Amino acid sequence: MTSPLPQVLLDGLFAGGTYALMAAGMALILGVVKVINLSHGAFFTLGAYVAYALAERGIVSPIAAAPIAAVIAFAFGVFLAKSFVNPVRNHPFALPVGTLACALLFEQAAQMAWGPHPLSIEAGAPWIGPGGLVIRRWGVIAFLSSAALLGGLKWLLSARPGLPLRLIAEDEEIAGSLGMDVEAIRYLTFGGACAMAAAAGALLSPSGAVTPTMGRAPLLLSLVVVIVAGMDSVAVIFLLSIGLGIFGNACAWFLSPQWSYVALLAAVCLLLSTRPAGIVVPAGRRD
Amino acid sequence: MTVNPRFLLRLPLLLIGQAALSLHFFSLVSLAAPAVAASRPDALKIGVLAPLSGPYAAGGTSFVQAATLAVEQANAEGGVFGQRVTIAVGDTQGRVDVAKSEALRLVSREKASALVGAYLSEETVGAMEVAAAHRTVLLVPVAATAEITDKVRQEYKRYRYVFRVGYSLPQWAEMIAAFLSDRKVRRYAFVGAGIRWNLELGETLERVVAPRGITPVYTAFYSPGNPAFDAVAVAAAAASPDIVILADPGRNSVSFLKRLREAAPALPALSIGGALGDARLAASIPLSAPVYVQAAAWRGVSPAATAYVERYERRYGAPPVGYSDTLPYDAVTVLVAAWRKAGSAATEAVVPVLERGAFPGVAGAYRFDAAHQARWGTGPGALHGTFVRWERGGALIVFPPRQ
Repeated sequence: MTSPLPQVLLDGLFAGGTYALMAAGMALILGVVKVINLSHGAFFTLGAYVAYALAERGIVSPIAAAPIAAVIAFAFGVFLAKSFVNPVRNHPFALPVGTLACALLFEQAAQMAWGPHPLSIEAGAPWIGPGGLVIRRWGVIAFLSSAALLGGLKWLLSARPGLPLRLIAEDEEIAGSLGMDVEAIRYLTFGGACAMAAAAGALLSPSGAVTPTMGRAPLLLSLVVVIVAGMDSVAVIFLLSIGLGIFGNACAWFLSPQWSYVALLAAVCLLLSTRPAGIVVPAGRRD
Repeated sequence: MTVNPRFLLRLPLLLIGQAALSLHFFSLVSLAAPAVAASRPDALKIGVLAPLSGPYAAGGTSFVQAATLAVEQANAEGGVFGQRVTIAVGDTQGRVDVAKSEALRLVSREKASALVGAYLSEETVGAMEVAAAHRTVLLVPVAATAEITDKVRQEYKRYRYVFRVGYSLPQWAEMIAAFLSDRKVRRYAFVGAGIRWNLELGETLERVVAPRGITPVYTAFYSPGNPAFDAVAVAAAAASPDIVILADPGRNSVSFLKRLREAAPALPALSIGGALGDARLAASIPLSAPVYVQAAAWRGVSPAATAYVERYERRYGAPPVGYSDTLPYDAVTVLVAAWRKAGSAATEAVVPVLERGAFPGVAGAYRFDAAHQARWGTGPGALHGTFVRWERGGALIVFPPRQ
């Protein structure tokens, strides 16, 4: 490979896939349940620990761990939605504080169960592409999974089975008056989004270290992506995630690794200052 | 009796919040449980400062575990002049302000006779001020900045209570330089978290290795909060070094090494931050090229080191990493030995004993110079440290060559 720049940009594409994977579930919760779930990162961590627990028992397969993690997270998510999120969802300050407490609770529980030391799962050898380009296994998985999840979400929201979700997102009262069980749909949506985060954590667990606080950075970045993109366009969420991934890596390459995160957040602030309601806003809702 | 339905709705929130707080504090307190439970008025208390939360919680936990083990060992040997030794732990969270306030709490409220800590250089410099103001002995196990010993040298009267058990940056650089020469390295890349210790060590190493004809070809520091690993790993590999020196004491070292192995499978790496001394982590890293780890001591280096590793493994279920646990263990061991030699835990009695004596530890015999720095390095009488290479079945000691 003559120049490392294509490699840096390709890795940025894969990093963007990671953000998109988390953002998919976050967008669903924000769009339908209309809450900021600060425990979303904890479900990502839960997925990674499920993958690690399986690897410890000789099943080194994040793909096998993903559905198991998703089922566990779905059950936890529905429980959380029913016992806590639903009762306080109309209190704008109680909810973020409460979901943050849930995240801390999970981090401490994980620390007690597995210890604070980083744990690790074998990542497997990467594929070598044309021109010596290194194609990271977990990167491809993140990219394809996020494309599939967001594609599925886009289909769901535009097809008939997704009608209740669209209607609840638009107006809960009308949805209720049409006989829809709004609360049940909210619980299922919340649980489904948590399952998506856990599956993402399981799939990406070999890429780095598994630690109790590993969900914090993806949480922040996915929240940023969803707020900047707006919750109405799944395609924009995907493209923005990819764009931010490439932008962050390019900044690390051209400026300095220490400036990468700063530049990324500066770009986000700039976008928000020009379009405070998000990049894509339906007509009539623009600020 | 009527129950307010709004209260019932808030009950899960209250329970979750309560459980989070309880778990948070319980997990911190439980680390020091054996020693705290034994605390009595006639016991001698050591204040231990380490990050038990935040990005360096792993290193901080090993730190406290090792200090607890050393205290247990001291008590098994009969304590100090008939008194039991206990520890009180302060969670520094990796922050200077918290380190200072916790040091103050340990000295004033917990009545600690001496302090051991902190973890990061920034935290330790803050804790030094408390030790100086309260005339309390402070043993520094891992913080390496030159500022610590410079202060002792320049303002001896104020900072004479501070002794560094761990290696200073020039000593550290000297040991790394000797290892690089032994491996016939000519070009190296230096990568780590953008914290003070790494930044200073990078500069010091460059100066120390220059006379040996060794040069850095790539240097980068990433943000510990959100490291941009991909670009750094690619750039480090593209600079074609003979070895990548990874100076990160935290969890990011694992993630970075994985990226590096993907970008350049045949490039050797040397971890000097301690995290990769964990056998469980090493088992998940491809060994397509050597992975070296620098440690203060390692199993097999000496009978004392082997006994310590076995004791640690029995107590905590995993072997020590050889750095963030071994040095705190030795710091407590040195302190207890100095108390016994002085026949008192009074600061004025202990300081001269520490200044003049030799104190056996896991890494060897500790002697302090005029700046209260333990003698580490490559010269005779100095503590040498150890470099190991991970193999599939375990670690192999590769440097210094065994006699």
